[in-house]
Amino acid sequence: MKHELILLLKQRSMVLLVLLSLILTSLSLQNGWQNISHIRTQILHAQQEESLRKQDYLHSHQHDGTLDAGEIGYYLFHNVYHAPTEWSFIALGNRLVTPYVQRIRLLGLQGQLYDGESHHPEYVMLGSFDYAFWLVFFSPLLCIALMHDLRASEQQAQRLLFLNSLVAKPAHFWLKRVLVRWLLIVTTLTLPVIAFATLHALSTGPLLLVLVITLLYTLFWTMVCAAISLHTRAVNASFNAMLLTSIWLCMTVILPNLAQLWCHTHLPVKDGSQIALQHRQLVHGAWDLPKTDTLTPFYALYPQWRDTPPVIGRFHWKWYFAFQHMADVRLAPQVAAREQALMQRDQATQQLGWTLPGVWVQRQLEQLAHSNVTHLLAHRQQIEQFHTQLRHFVYPFLFEEQPFTAEDFQRLPTFQSTATD
Amino acid sequence: MNASPVWTIACNEWRRWWHARVPALLLVVLLGLWGLAALAAHHHWQDHARTVADVTQRSQHDWQSQPDRHPHRVSHFGDFVAKPLHPLTVIEPGILDQSGHLVYLEAHRLNSANFNPATEATSLGRFPLMTPGMIVQWWMPLFLIMIAYATVTAEKLAGTLAYMRGNGTAVWQIATGKWLALFLPFLLLLCLQGVLVGLWSWHSDQTMLRLGLMLLAQVLYMAGWCGLVVAVSWWSRQLHAALLTLLLCWVCVCIIFPRGLANLAQVLHPTQPRTEAEYHAEIKLKTLGDSHHPNDPHFATFKAQILKQYGVSRTEDLPVNYNGLLMQEGERLTTAVYREQQALHDAQLAKQNGLIRHWLWLSPALAMQYVQMASSGNDLAHHQAFIRQAEVRRYQLIQYLNQIHTFKVNLAEDKDTRVDAAFWQNAPRPTVSLAEIDVSRTPLLASLLVLLGWIVLPCALLYKVSKRT
Repeated sequence: MKHELILLLKQRSMVLLVLLSLILTSLSLQNGWQNISHIRTQILHAQQEESLRKQDYLHSHQHDGTLDAGEIGYYLFHNVYHAPTEWSFIALGNRLVTPYVQRIRLLGLQGQLYDGESHHPEYVMLGSFDYAFWLVFFSPLLCIALMHDLRASEQQAQRLLFLNSLVAKPAHFWLKRVLVRWLLIVTTLTLPVIAFATLHALSTGPLLLVLVITLLYTLFWTMVCAAISLHTRAVNASFNAMLLTSIWLCMTVILPNLAQLWCHTHLPVKDGSQIALQHRQLVHGAWDLPKTDTLTPFYALYPQWRDTPPVIGRFHWKWYFAFQHMADVRLAPQVAAREQALMQRDQATQQLGWTLPGVWVQRQLEQLAHSNVTHLLAHRQQIEQFHTQLRHFVYPFLFEEQPFTAEDFQRLPTFQSTATD
Repeated sequence: MNASPVWTIACNEWRRWWHARVPALLLVVLLGLWGLAALAAHHHWQDHARTVADVTQRSQHDWQSQPDRHPHRVSHFGDFVAKPLHPLTVIEPGILDQSGHLVYLEAHRLNSANFNPATEATSLGRFPLMTPGMIVQWWMPLFLIMIAYATVTAEKLAGTLAYMRGNGTAVWQIATGKWLALFLPFLLLLCLQGVLVGLWSWHSDQTMLRLGLMLLAQVLYMAGWCGLVVAVSWWSRQLHAALLTLLLCWVCVCIIFPRGLANLAQVLHPTQPRTEAEYHAEIKLKTLGDSHHPNDPHFATFKAQILKQYGVSRTEDLPVNYNGLLMQEGERLTTAVYREQQALHDAQLAKQNGLIRHWLWLSPALAMQYVQMASSGNDLAHHQAFIRQAEVRRYQLIQYLNQIHTFKVNLAEDKDTRVDAAFWQNAPRPTVSLAEIDVSRTPLLASLLVLLGWIVLPCALLYKVSKRT
């Protein structure tokens, strides 16, 4: 084994390749880290600002120690955060597109949930340069570069027959050769990860998982490369390289694309714009309806407010917030159906992962990084829960017309992100 | 100057491909891939086109079927505009999935473009999309490398190169012959794609110009790659080295540099989160003037000026509705601030673009993609133009509604008035159309310049290398 390694590293091109791989792996980690720490700083900043802004609101909207609950619902924004986890830098996933700080009011949630973030769209389109990308796309190429000419290079140097006659167990010999190359590749990929984890004192559980995923994925490609380049008739290095590149192309681009096409035709998801249009129609249509049309179904959901003073005048906040909520309620089945279709797509992706290792790795790493579509949906659920919490907090003041004091204002719920482990 | 040896060399090269089977097979596979990509891209385009049509129709219907309402209610009811698509999207969808395709136009709010499918993509969405544009950008060079990496090296190893030189064939003739042999099939493919797409989309605006630019970039790009393949093949002493060198070039030019550059730009010039921008705009608005506040200096002056203009002493005596005037003034202020904010955001993006453009020469693949995106109307410049158009429409519409508020609603019974629905039906809602290609002039020029350089580079390399042998 040692001799094999020395033999391998004596080639200048190999050393160059190993160094390049080490540098690019570190870069991919660093880049992911940069992105995540930018998100972290922005969230921290937004959190600090939020409490200041709320105090500001309290000062400017206070009349004799009390506030108007309706105005709080309408004018006061609450931040919600899509906080990254410790290992989010490993796969940026859809964190590139999803907003990490959003502002929510007490109005209908469906009209607010889908606000886009102001990223550079071309940058998002080109994709991220994170560890997941590097592993899924480049470790196979590294394997191909190191292992496409195992037999062919010996044949070209006219040593193949000589080798075969010299070694007692050719299988053992080739195994050693392949093993050394695999270990070298694994080292160039995992060393930076381990160093990075130690440097930033990251938890070891996910680290082990990343290492295992890396080992398995490179092992898969090592086996593919070995199978092709150790084939008895595989004596043309260039042909091997082309064949392996074609396999790589198939596994990392063509098949995932076909799978996505299949997913989109068989699991159609209604475009989000339909929800937005309907939401607007429901909210604004309610102004032209008799107030009982809104309040009767609302009181069916919230019988505890049924016996509160009736809405007689032209406008009352309780009616206003009731129709805002009813729009959400009416849309709930459609939103749930969309969510379910998205979950099914994710399930299909997961099942596909059993046949396409690249997809498996990408999904596993995103799972670890909490940057998959399932996490986005979970985040939306969290926002919804927070919105509900807020509504339930404010409703007594609206419906029973209790005075909303400054102390009550301090007790307003704030968004607790669960993904900050 | 006798050019016929050039043709002989090219024809010989094709004969070799035919006999070796593998190159011919690869070409067939490439065609298959291209067909697949076209199918997928067409499906993608159709999906989007249907969404845009649906949204436009539905929003039109919703708008027209509004009952009698108070004008301010209508301005909060708002209007939706969907981003128009150019049929060339079939070749290069660009930022279509990432930019959002729907803007909600509402009084005193500047909403973002929402609903980008990229947000809700599964892990499969992280794999590069296969489109005809991508085929040209990535897969054509890759297949070219696999087909032709040996083109000169093999001749060199077999000794035929020296033989040809000995026969008096000039270096330029050999090089041109080889280059033509590689380039012509791809030129044919590109032209075929151009003609097919041109026929399919001839009726849409600026198709010829857009398609022409796209084709020009594609041809330049592939010509450069063919030159590079011949040069590297000439330079290498071993077949294997030629293949590996070319593959390394491909990986860097097509994958690492574009992604690396985009990430670098984002890290060096991060964009401000949307919520921050919105908040700052609100703060700025508050300092400008608060129409709800009775003692606000700005609106106090405004009121005094209006009263003086109409020669009355109370707002109640005005012949028009003072609330409507207030709305108009407020809208003017908010719009100015929001536009300023938008300009600030655009400036941030421009900074990132500037950085990428500065290093664009590293990756002709990215340059080619910029041209493709610009000509299919799916680049940042077109998107920003769309946002601007939507904003102009928003402002016009809201001010029209505020005028109705001013002139058709009586101040005394302001809140209880409903204005006839015919007014909404005749509201100015100009169609939002795709911007002219001129909006992406800067990226286009920079990219074409890079692509020109991309042809010169292999020529220089070839000149240097061929002198050696």
